[in-house]
Amino acid sequence: MTLLLIILIPLLGTLLAPAAAVRGRMGAAVMAGALTATALALLFTLAPRVFGGETIVVSWAWMADLGLYFSLRLDGLGLLFALLILGIGLLVILYAAYYLSPKDSMPKFFSYMMLFMGAMLGVVLSENLILLLMFWELTSLSSFLLVSYWRHRADARQGARMALAVTGGGGLCLLAGILLLGEIVGSYELSVVLVSAELIQSHDLYTPALILILLGAFTKSAQFPFHFWLPHAMAAPTPVSAYLHSATMVKAGVFLLARLHPALAGSDLWFYLVTGAGLTTLVFAAYVALFKHDLKGLLAYSTISHLGLITLLFGFGTPLAAVAGVFHIINHATFKASLFMAAGIIDHEAGTRDMRRLNGLFKYMPYTALLAMVAAASMAGVPLLNGFLSKEMFFVETLHLQRFGDWAWLIPVLATVAGIFAVGYSLRFIHDVFFNGEPKDLPQIPHEPPRWMKVPVEILVVLCLLVGMLPAFTVGPLLATAAGGVLQAPLPEYSLAIWHGFNTALMMSIIALIGGGLFYLLRHKLFDLHGRLLPNEFGAKQIFDILVKAVVDLSRAITRLLENGSLQRYMALLVGSAIVVGVYAALQHGAMSFDMSASSMPVNAVSVTASIALIVAALATVLFHRHRLPTLLMLGVVGLFVSLAFVYFSAPDLALTQLSVEVVTIILLLLALHFLPQESQPESSSARRLRDALLAGTAGLGIAALTWAILTAPFETLSGYYLEQSVPGGGGKNVVNVILVDFRGFDTFGEITVLAIAAIGIHALLYNLFVNPNPAGPHGWATSRPPLLLSVICRPLLPLALLVALYLMLRGHNAPGGGFIAGLVAGVALVMQYLASGLDWTNARMKIDYFKVIAAGLAIALATGVASWFFAHPFMTTTFTHVHWPVVGEFEVASAMVFDLGVFLTVVGITMLILAELGKLSGAVKQGGGR
Amino acid sequence: MANVSFVMPNFVPAIPEMFVLGMACAILILDLFFSDKDRVVTYLLSVATLVGAAILTIALSTDTRELTFNGSFVRDPMGDVLKVFIYVVTAFTFIYSRRYLEARGLFKGEYFVLGLFGVLGMMVMVSAHNMLTLYMGLELLSLSMYAMVAFQRDSLKATEAAMKYFILGALASGMLLYGMSLIYGMSGSLDLAEIAAYVALNNTNVVLMLGLVFAIVGLAFKLGAVPFHMWVPDVYHGAPTSVTLYIGTAPKIAAFAMVMRLLVEGLGDLHHQWQDMLIVLAVLSIALGNVIAIAQTNIKRMLAYSTISHVGFILLGILAGTENGYSSAMFYVVVYTLMSLGGFAMIIMLSRAGFEADKLDDFKGLNDRSPWLALMMLVLMFSMAGVPPTVGFYAKLSVLQAVVQVELVWLAVYAVVFSVIGAFYYLRVVKVMYFDKPDDTTPLEASMAERIVISANSLAMLALGIFPAVLMQLMVIR
Repeated sequence: MTLLLIILIPLLGTLLAPAAAVRGRMGAAVMAGALTATALALLFTLAPRVFGGETIVVSWAWMADLGLYFSLRLDGLGLLFALLILGIGLLVILYAAYYLSPKDSMPKFFSYMMLFMGAMLGVVLSENLILLLMFWELTSLSSFLLVSYWRHRADARQGARMALAVTGGGGLCLLAGILLLGEIVGSYELSVVLVSAELIQSHDLYTPALILILLGAFTKSAQFPFHFWLPHAMAAPTPVSAYLHSATMVKAGVFLLARLHPALAGSDLWFYLVTGAGLTTLVFAAYVALFKHDLKGLLAYSTISHLGLITLLFGFGTPLAAVAGVFHIINHATFKASLFMAAGIIDHEAGTRDMRRLNGLFKYMPYTALLAMVAAASMAGVPLLNGFLSKEMFFVETLHLQRFGDWAWLIPVLATVAGIFAVGYSLRFIHDVFFNGEPKDLPQIPHEPPRWMKVPVEILVVLCLLVGMLPAFTVGPLLATAAGGVLQAPLPEYSLAIWHGFNTALMMSIIALIGGGLFYLLRHKLFDLHGRLLPNEFGAKQIFDILVKAVVDLSRAITRLLENGSLQRYMALLVGSAIVVGVYAALQHGAMSFDMSASSMPVNAVSVTASIALIVAALATVLFHRHRLPTLLMLGVVGLFVSLAFVYFSAPDLALTQLSVEVVTIILLLLALHFLPQESQPESSSARRLRDALLAGTAGLGIAALTWAILTAPFETLSGYYLEQSVPGGGGKNVVNVILVDFRGFDTFGEITVLAIAAIGIHALLYNLFVNPNPAGPHGWATSRPPLLLSVICRPLLPLALLVALYLMLRGHNAPGGGFIAGLVAGVALVMQYLASGLDWTNARMKIDYFKVIAAGLAIALATGVASWFFAHPFMTTTFTHVHWPVVGEFEVASAMVFDLGVFLTVVGITMLILAELGKLSGAVKQGGGR
Repeated sequence: MANVSFVMPNFVPAIPEMFVLGMACAILILDLFFSDKDRVVTYLLSVATLVGAAILTIALSTDTRELTFNGSFVRDPMGDVLKVFIYVVTAFTFIYSRRYLEARGLFKGEYFVLGLFGVLGMMVMVSAHNMLTLYMGLELLSLSMYAMVAFQRDSLKATEAAMKYFILGALASGMLLYGMSLIYGMSGSLDLAEIAAYVALNNTNVVLMLGLVFAIVGLAFKLGAVPFHMWVPDVYHGAPTSVTLYIGTAPKIAAFAMVMRLLVEGLGDLHHQWQDMLIVLAVLSIALGNVIAIAQTNIKRMLAYSTISHVGFILLGILAGTENGYSSAMFYVVVYTLMSLGGFAMIIMLSRAGFEADKLDDFKGLNDRSPWLALMMLVLMFSMAGVPPTVGFYAKLSVLQAVVQVELVWLAVYAVVFSVIGAFYYLRVVKVMYFDKPDDTTPLEASMAERIVISANSLAMLALGIFPAVLMQLMVIR
């Protein structure tokens, strides 16, 4: 529970610190400091148990299904980091309280600071890896807020975004790695993972998991080639740099390496990846740091270099190297934090961080200078300071390494080179800033900072000295506990003495000190050389920018290709994709079986001719589509052939229906055509037409093949049932009609209702609609009077046609016909009157309200259905009887026929309604045109 | 056919559906008698309908599975949970939309009635246990949405979007129907249980495979998965924002249900065959959605592409084909819906008469204009990016875990890589809100109701992120 409190207290501070700010400017700082101190005190209460060798684990179920527990762990490693986070945090809070200027918002700063502190504590105290990852991402977010604290500065915003992009992205990689690790081990709990090294390293997923986890660690700890964000993040206020970029956040990456050391380290892959990255970073960053003129830039690259050193040590994978790594983590945190604070003081008091202008500050701020010089000397690895001890251990480790075989000498040499660079830049830090003549046009005269601003630096520098001189008494127990936490195994033999005798490692240190001194003396010439060789710094930042730009360009290009807003393009894409997946599936699962036997294909002269005619007519419809009248005629031909096909295959009902529907639709379309130009302009390029033709052709062929395959496959059909049941069940010999009005009467009722709704819709659309008069010119239609001959013929035809309709309806139950067909025939007959005699003449004689006709039709159909209720039968049960008529003969009267009457009336009404509405419209146009 | 006995179906499981249908019809008629001044009654009745439906659904909910209407309708715990989220999300949509519609003279009964009919369609999709029921629900929803997109009749953009949506949607529905007809042709049944029984015995039939392919094409279109996604950005962009809000949220839940019913319940034994196809869809969706979103300057379009990438993640859960995968996908779809609800609603919050606020630049300096709303948007964006401790993180986590569990490690890694790219454009919104100076300093007109709802919406992302188990335990499949 105490463990939970240690994390919760700083997180609570996120809210409490700004709340305390109402009590004056310092309120937030005091609150933040008090909370940090409380957490630190709580940590101290737990410390003895950890020093006693215990690992404290507490756990609460959170999302057990996902293997996610809110479980915390305090062991040596966690304790060390928690101490660093809280201890240095306390100093940084004190420092920041004096560093921030009155313009800066204190509540915001300390709120973010506490958020970060809580998140960081969460990282180091998590037992569950997913929980660790969540805190990990939270540190990225809170550091984003802290780096962008000076929001008005463009470099701060950019630096913050870059830091977040790199570390946040790395965090997602880490997530993937952790998922894989959890998959291998079967648990996300560290206690399980850390003891499963064999299982993990022999698993197939080890390589991807390791690479992903390392990506997370390297991005966070700014290892080459992901180091570029750290120098840019230096736009943050200096307390932030001192805290995040030296002691805590960037250490999260190496913390992870240390944490997972028992589980992941030791393999060749681990060795090459981690030492490779560490070594490159160590040397490269130390070199870059040499040539930085910005004080914080120098410190940033030196931090990267030292992180490389620690990474390198963990990469070795040996227990001793791990001890050295942990030791260097402690030492680096103390001297680097104090150096950042000193740099902040200089910036604060002198108004610039440019080392070419800062010179001879010793005169102005001797006390601060002294502190900074001690810390810098520690950074350089001067004996009697803590930096020397861990660096010495590092040198020893490089000498013991056997893994590189014949190239084993390379590592100590490179380590020495990096040591030379480190001495060089440390000397620059000391000599350039505090001596080396007089300052050059500083914005203000520098002087010593306020008393309390120096206290944190003093404390840290004293620590450097104490650890450096009395290592075994000061840091010994902590180091042993922490190293035990890393290794999760008994510690190897090591000695913390200052003097190990005159050995190779000491030689390396001496070479580094002398080399660094030489470098410093020759610095002006080397600067020139560096400037000539690498005039433009082409760093990873440029690559990052180029990468971002490339992605944006790619994104735009894809948008232009796929999302240009053209419906045609989208349709092509949709159909094309469907074809691709269809063909793929067909090929994947074996070719379709086609029954090519003659019995399934009744080929003869008639069917071939009809098919060819049908194909030609369909093609013509497409080819003529810009000329509306020919297209319509061709469409009519297609319909005609389809109805002939029905006749040919002995489906007279369908043929009749198709034929009458064809006639009605063509007439209605002709009317609608009246409002459109005769021809339309070509709109597609020939390339597009080719594309469309290809797509349409392929899709058509595909569907045809599929249809063929299905139709020729053996299948069971329901027809038999209907053929048997038609007479006994429905009382009619015409099965199609019986299905329509009896078996599926309910469906038909639904259909005519939909038709009626459609009619109302058409009425609503066309009612009082104003259409532009028929476009004049070559593309318009000629106006003409109804031909006399036609009207003379049509008038006597009407009663005949109506009689035919009645006949078709009455016989429908037993022979081809029925209400639907009869309705259409009657409709056509009436339409003919309009065509032949003109609108005015017909309207004057046809005073029927078509809505009433439709309503009557629906009502009759409904009544038929309801009637069966009165005979205690379900809705729409039919009955029939036989009547003998004098002329017609034996005749069946079925209740379904009444229903058919309803269908008939509805169809007539709808056809006429649409016609009348369109007719009215054209009448209106004519009148408008005439005026 | 008097000799066939007719059994009265059990209506109880469908009471919520009948209630919504009845209310929608009643509101449709009542609305005719309201003057514009009283239109608010329509709005209140619509919200009340959703609340009532939620009460009914919860009251009738049991742990068992009930089939009715001859096996064409099913009520099960998964369906109940999804339906309740559909009501909640739609009710939020209505509340967010009110001021937006009023400012544009669009505060008409049609919006709400169409919305309710759409909800009915979604409910039918969720409860469908028969291909025809499924299709019917889908079309009821689709037709309502086509009409809603075209609802702002004087807007050229909206009309164009509606036309594209309708034509493409009709084509896709046709393909779905074609696929269903092939499946029916082979299995001889429309009932999902009978299809499942058939598929268990015959799972190598070519025609069945093609039926599956076309059905997936239709489903992918409705979900908005690449390469059947092209309608999404144009429709999201063109439609009035309140309609985008509607389309972009609840229907995704229904689409998920449709996939579950058809692919998992009906064609579960073809898992190996459809898994490959879903992998392709997911891979393309995640890549394309994330990459294209980067270059967008219109935030509605950006969120449209973000939707596409989220659909890819939902597909990841489904294609895993395990109980765990399905419940992760369900978790994801619910979370996604809540996030995008907030995201689109934020555009509405910034809009006013004559100003759509749908450009990324319109979010400039939001922090200076309204720190609270900026913070809410920040939470939403982080949740969409999958940053802990927001609930979006768990959604991604659980889906990825499901994929890793079925040994599709590369797919999980791939998804993570593209999430990194995705994080980029969500952060851009945050950057614009916090770092840029506002171009426009007009005070925000968002109403109190909207502010409360958006706060609840965003804070829920955070609260559910801290207590995800609350939501996760609802995600029971079967």
